[in-house]
Amino acid sequence: MNDVALSKNGARVLRGFFALVVVFLYAPIVILLIFSFNNSDIPAFPLSGFTLHWYHQFLVNADLRASLETSALIAVMTSIGAVVLGVLSSIALVRRKFRGKAAASALLLSPLVIPYVVFGISLLLLFHTIGVPRGMFTVVIGHIVITLPYTILVLVPRLEQIDESLEEAAYDLGASRFRTFRSITLPLILPAVLSAFLIAFTTSFDEYAVASFVVGSRSTFPIYLYSALRFPSQLPQVIAVAVVVLIVSLTVVVAAELGRRIAERRVGAA
Amino acid sequence: MGLPVAWLAVFFLAPIAIVAAYSFDVYTLFPGPHGFTLHAWRAVAHESVYLRLFWKSVKMSLVVSVVIVLLAYPLAYYLALSGTKRKYILLLLLIAPFLTSYLLRVLAWKVILGDQGVINSFLFWTGLRSSEHPISQLLYSRFAVMLVLAYIWLPFVALPIFVSLETLDRRLLEAASDLGASRLRAFWAVTLPLSIPGVIAAFFFVFVPTLGEFVTPSLVGGASGYMYGNQIVDLFGAGFPDWETGSVLALFLIGVVVVLTVAFSRFLQPQQVTAE
Amino acid sequence: MSEGTGFERRFDRQGLLKLAAAGGAGLVAGRAGVADAMRAVSLAESGRLQVLDWAGYGNDGGQAMFASYVKTHAANKPQFTYMTNESDALAKIHAGLKPDLFRPYVGWVKYFATSGLVQPWDPSKIANFKHLNPFMVKAGQYGGKQYGIPDDWGFDAILYRSDKVTPKSRSWALIFDDRYKGRISWFDDLNMLTVAGLYLGVKNAWNQSDAELEKSQKFLMAKKKNVKLIWSSETNLWEAFGSGDIWIAYAWPNDWVQMKKKGLKVVYMRPKEKPIAWVGMFMLLQGSPRPDLAHAYVDSWSSTRSAKWLEDNYGYGHANVVARPASSDLLKALQLTNPRAVTEPNAHLDRDIPRRAVYAKYWEEVKAS
Repeated sequence: MNDVALSKNGARVLRGFFALVVVFLYAPIVILLIFSFNNSDIPAFPLSGFTLHWYHQFLVNADLRASLETSALIAVMTSIGAVVLGVLSSIALVRRKFRGKAAASALLLSPLVIPYVVFGISLLLLFHTIGVPRGMFTVVIGHIVITLPYTILVLVPRLEQIDESLEEAAYDLGASRFRTFRSITLPLILPAVLSAFLIAFTTSFDEYAVASFVVGSRSTFPIYLYSALRFPSQLPQVIAVAVVVLIVSLTVVVAAELGRRIAERRVGAA
Repeated sequence: MGLPVAWLAVFFLAPIAIVAAYSFDVYTLFPGPHGFTLHAWRAVAHESVYLRLFWKSVKMSLVVSVVIVLLAYPLAYYLALSGTKRKYILLLLLIAPFLTSYLLRVLAWKVILGDQGVINSFLFWTGLRSSEHPISQLLYSRFAVMLVLAYIWLPFVALPIFVSLETLDRRLLEAASDLGASRLRAFWAVTLPLSIPGVIAAFFFVFVPTLGEFVTPSLVGGASGYMYGNQIVDLFGAGFPDWETGSVLALFLIGVVVVLTVAFSRFLQPQQVTAE
Repeated sequence: MSEGTGFERRFDRQGLLKLAAAGGAGLVAGRAGVADAMRAVSLAESGRLQVLDWAGYGNDGGQAMFASYVKTHAANKPQFTYMTNESDALAKIHAGLKPDLFRPYVGWVKYFATSGLVQPWDPSKIANFKHLNPFMVKAGQYGGKQYGIPDDWGFDAILYRSDKVTPKSRSWALIFDDRYKGRISWFDDLNMLTVAGLYLGVKNAWNQSDAELEKSQKFLMAKKKNVKLIWSSETNLWEAFGSGDIWIAYAWPNDWVQMKKKGLKVVYMRPKEKPIAWVGMFMLLQGSPRPDLAHAYVDSWSSTRSAKWLEDNYGYGHANVVARPASSDLLKALQLTNPRAVTEPNAHLDRDIPRRAVYAKYWEEVKAS
């Protein structure tokens, strides 16, 4: 089976290419790592000596920690909302027949288009008009809009590949639509759901423009970062944070992935 | 379907309507006389400078998108179809850079591309270039913007292609092989066509957002890497009370992409994948 | 009591008695006691002080500037929203944000003073007012009233690498010099049009006619090919300059100090057409429920201690003339020993631009070109 799609040589070539790309992807991150220990205000070569100072600074920086917490909370709420709406949308797009499908899918994907700064401003105007105070929830609202297209773009291809007859069989056996979804569809699209969740989470966590307009007086991590980029005294500790964020998130994602695979094996998964 | 559409109607369409109203001067935050007028639109059409900037951004986005889709396809192919046991871990490896901060990854590139950055200092060290003549076009240029955008979006783009390849029915390939097709033939006839929805989705994943990109150009683009998105940001950021021009530009961008999306939507429609 | 609204708290019996006592104490204690009385009176205002300020001046690093305020008004600690520039502040205010005070720069004083959005300060409520540079204080006045309280300030001039660059003359011409194509950095602000006007010798660079503005814009567009970077944050400038990407830049005094610290051979050139001086101005919003707290905050900002901290840590000058930075380089660059440094004939103090919207539009077009 392995040979059907790729010869051994082909696989070797592609593996090499993959390795090259991975090096390309990680080199800048390694550079961040190096500079997080660099004893200088400005990240530039040549290096100025080793120090743990920036890590210490970041740990005692309450504002920075608060912004990380804010971002994490917002990202979690966003991802849940976006995935729920995304699943609803994808099922409707793939399985249901209705008029105006092209228009609906255009609408659902259109947040990809809008420059976030414009969206942020217009959202601010909206909230002002309807009298909603700005805070974490307004950011979540905006982020759900932004991340919804991504979840759909991940879920739709996956749903397309699933055999509809499986679901039809469940209906024939008397299962309700919800039951069918829960027992048949959901387990099959779960990898895509998880990908969608991850994409929504990282997009929200990292998002600057919309958040800066509708977050009110709190600070998200990117907002803190962007303003830190203006003040060199903040920059090195922010680099240290980035390294920590990377390690933590890598650990979390790897653990989640391993956990998922163990769970899958237990269920006897496809 | 009702809930997602309603959500977007309220929190997406309504704000856009506000922006549209702004561009026609029907609505404005700034107190003063206003009413429906095409004045702002006419002004933009007259000043070809903004339209030229738009075209420049389109070209840049196109190059970036095409290049990284071409790069991502073999990666996704390898992961999905080589039968490697560690495909999810490797996929994770590919996506993981996305979990760091976008802003700081861009900053790292500034260090690499600068006049005394990694690349140039390496060249000095190996004597390939003297330290009086570094390669200056690496940073603060269109090249820098396209390179960094490609870097940022590559992991993102691999994902939908991977998903569509991974869920490909292997039996089709086996059948092709049984029928005597070479691997290459099987690829052209079976794999590629079936993965097209994923590829097109991937292309959209990157082309559309990069059109409106402004953070990367603002950090590594310098004066010549300035993009359409930057213009909109600047017009809203420093242009108050004249937000009409920014609204016009924003609406124009939205219009272009809506047209594109509708035109391509048939590729994003559910395809019937038969197992026969 | 704790359940009451602010309104009730302000007018409960105890509060009223305190007010009366404070007022009385003020009368008896004389001018020296005014500050104390002020403190007591401002206790009648409640809630946190809403401050709209630039990044770096709030709880994200600027705490030392208002530390003494926080000590005496712990219940009314400042709460910050950030403005990226004056346009942004204006937009936020129009969109419904209600700060008590904010900090535009001197070129906007007239605009805001005539906008109805702000009210004048009462300098007698600011103990440190007497230490502030009189020229800057004057620049914060409009119609005889003190609308702006000056705080940080600096110059716009030219920074260049003396080991790489030989200017033809001591002039703004250097940032337009074709010989150094790809090594020049401009500042992202419509003041570039003002500078172009100064270089081209127009009568009033801050109020150019359509024809003059067209000329300035065409000139900038023609010279833009020499520009590598249009900076908006100093960090960006320092990175680019420090790494050798840029040799010539439109820059502030501290940029020279920082590059010198990095060991670069740099010169801060004051062009013959004169540098531009900019000054930050605290302004008090009309209808603010906490004007006295705002005065106390500004007073804290204006103290010699805060001023010295600003000079030592952010490299900007401070309107408080008593303060002196530790760095002698900064002292020199800011010409702090010259009380007339920010005014003619030494420099052009930045001022109101009547046709700001047009300048803004033209500058955006330069960037797009």
